[in-house]
Amino acid sequence: MPDYTNTSEPVIQVRSVIKSFGDQRVLDGIDLDVMPGEIMVVMGGSGCGKSTLLRHMIGSIVPDSGSVKLFGREITTLSEQEMNEIRKKFGILFQSGALINSLTVGENVALPLREHTHLDEKTIEIMIKIKLELVSLRIHADKMPAQLSGGMKKRAGLARAIALDPQILFYDEPSAGLDPVTSAQIDQLIIDLTRKLHVTSVVVTHEMDSAFSIADRMCMLDKGKVLKIGMRQEFETLRDTPAENLTSDQDKLIRQFLRGDADGPLSRRKADSDYEEDLLRV
Amino acid sequence: MADAGGNIQNIIKDITREGDVVIVKLTGEIDMHSSTELRGCLLEITQERPRLLVINMEEVLFLDSSGLAVFVETMQQSRTQGRQLKLVGLHPRVRSIFEISRLMDIFQIYDTQEEALA
Amino acid sequence: MGKSRSGTDEPFETSGYLHVLALLGGTAMGISRRVLATLGSISLLLSETFGGILCGVFVPGVRLGREALLTQMVRVGIKAIPIVIMIQLAIGMILPLQMFPKLDEFGQAEQIATINGIAAFRELGPLMTAVILSGFAGASIAAELGTMVVAEEIEALEALALNPVRFLVVPRLLATIVMMVLLTVIADVVMVLGGFLTSLRLGIDADVFYLLSREAVDLMGFGTGLIKAGVFGLLVGLIACYLGLAVKPWQGSDGVGKATTHTVVYSIVAIIGADAIFTVIFYSYGLFK
Repeated sequence: MPDYTNTSEPVIQVRSVIKSFGDQRVLDGIDLDVMPGEIMVVMGGSGCGKSTLLRHMIGSIVPDSGSVKLFGREITTLSEQEMNEIRKKFGILFQSGALINSLTVGENVALPLREHTHLDEKTIEIMIKIKLELVSLRIHADKMPAQLSGGMKKRAGLARAIALDPQILFYDEPSAGLDPVTSAQIDQLIIDLTRKLHVTSVVVTHEMDSAFSIADRMCMLDKGKVLKIGMRQEFETLRDTPAENLTSDQDKLIRQFLRGDADGPLSRRKADSDYEEDLLRV
Repeated sequence: MADAGGNIQNIIKDITREGDVVIVKLTGEIDMHSSTELRGCLLEITQERPRLLVINMEEVLFLDSSGLAVFVETMQQSRTQGRQLKLVGLHPRVRSIFEISRLMDIFQIYDTQEEALA
Repeated sequence: MGKSRSGTDEPFETSGYLHVLALLGGTAMGISRRVLATLGSISLLLSETFGGILCGVFVPGVRLGREALLTQMVRVGIKAIPIVIMIQLAIGMILPLQMFPKLDEFGQAEQIATINGIAAFRELGPLMTAVILSGFAGASIAAELGTMVVAEEIEALEALALNPVRFLVVPRLLATIVMMVLLTVIADVVMVLGGFLTSLRLGIDADVFYLLSREAVDLMGFGTGLIKAGVFGLLVGLIACYLGLAVKPWQGSDGVGKATTHTVVYSIVAIIGADAIFTVIFYSYGLFK
């Protein structure tokens, strides 16, 4: 079980992170703690900044201001070399799997092992088999990525992400574009890896079914701000409360998102624009 | 786990030979650094072709997949030689990495050394 | 390049209501700023690549990827051999033919061997090879790297703590340089061969052609040609890698297409520019007689 005692330090600590691209503010003061061994699901609509937040946590984007700590170390000021040492301790599953297309599936998984460890080739070969078996792709080790389906690519990407036995795993939209069965398999893998190997997981998603089936805690983003962080149960309660019983607009908005309702404050926000004026202007 | 440097402690606590049985007692954390050393040691022992190789892991608190791979390779060796390999005293955390990698059925795993030797 | 960590991706601000003069001034400044920024990033990429090469040579344990280098050499160079041969053979046949009437007027018809030999080794061998490779290798490298950016592969490499420069740019750049030099040797020889075929047809004695060609081609001409070829290879490889990696993930296939086109255009401009500079240097130092 995740460690929520007061004594344990968060593995990931994001503090008042602000990031703008051009004049568009994508992240507007984000605070987020991820505790050891938990599955934190970050959700929100498209363009809410969740992917950008993920890229801050993996150190591929540096914030305009604010702090990001991994394993208690500030990563926003690290040099490329220092960052690389941290990178070896976490894994990322990219949306498309992001396999290197010129290498076979097995070589992709072996890549971090061959580049970053001094393990014997024989050991690496066995490790590849073990990792690929974990994602049920062992028999496809010699295939090129182009020969795989989207779901298989994602699973291969996961096998590569766990190659170095990372302590944190980041997932960027793990179930996007997958059929329900594959999506459920990936969810189960996330749970297994987290529970059995004590990996800390951060999942960025907008698929609510998947989010509710894996999350320990959830964080909802909207327009670059955190709307709510809480235990999964709190979000479930919010989702299942009738809209009339909710007083705050914010809760209504979260509820609509969680339920995927067509009608609610989210849609009204879009409709409120100057449609009529725009149409009738001469 | 994969960080460079780190103090290289001896993970092999002791090796006892009783006739054609070799008992290897391990200690500490088996990670990407120490597994290379472990591999060398275990391969050396399998060259002796003992009838039974018992690996006592009661003091192993952490095992990563490179350590797992070393055990698999040792298992390959003893199988081709027609010898036996037994693992003893897996900590829950160590056991779970065996479980998640679906290796529980490949290895003979015992709770105590006595059981393994019986 | 670690570009995303250090650099900002902000687009250039454009304001619609500035009057024309300011707009022009702004554009000019924008362009010069852009050119400077690009040159800056290219030199950064170059220094990082050389760092990567040195690291691969001197630091034990760091692998350069010999297989990667070999694969790239085949891709960049070997496949371009037939085209290089075809084009150089044609030029070798055309050039003497064009020169022939005028030279014949002066009764110097056999001098087409000299002209052809000098042109081949000093100028057209390296130049044509470079132009061919800018289309052949440059475009394909830019397209490949651009596609890798779009497919998140570059980001994945970075996240795996693998330096894309060392991993991708180093083998491609080395391969382009090496193959450019080797192909230039082929191009030189084939062009002389083309000239030989023409001169036979024009009734010039084979022995005379051979002797004059030997005389025209000195070691200096050959060597400077190869130096030029190496630098052209560096330029093509560098521009291709830079523009390929400069594709932004959200630009998609459009960005890849642009990177490919720009690579060919900029490469050729850079090659000709470098060629002019080289010629000035070589002549002012009196390397050619």
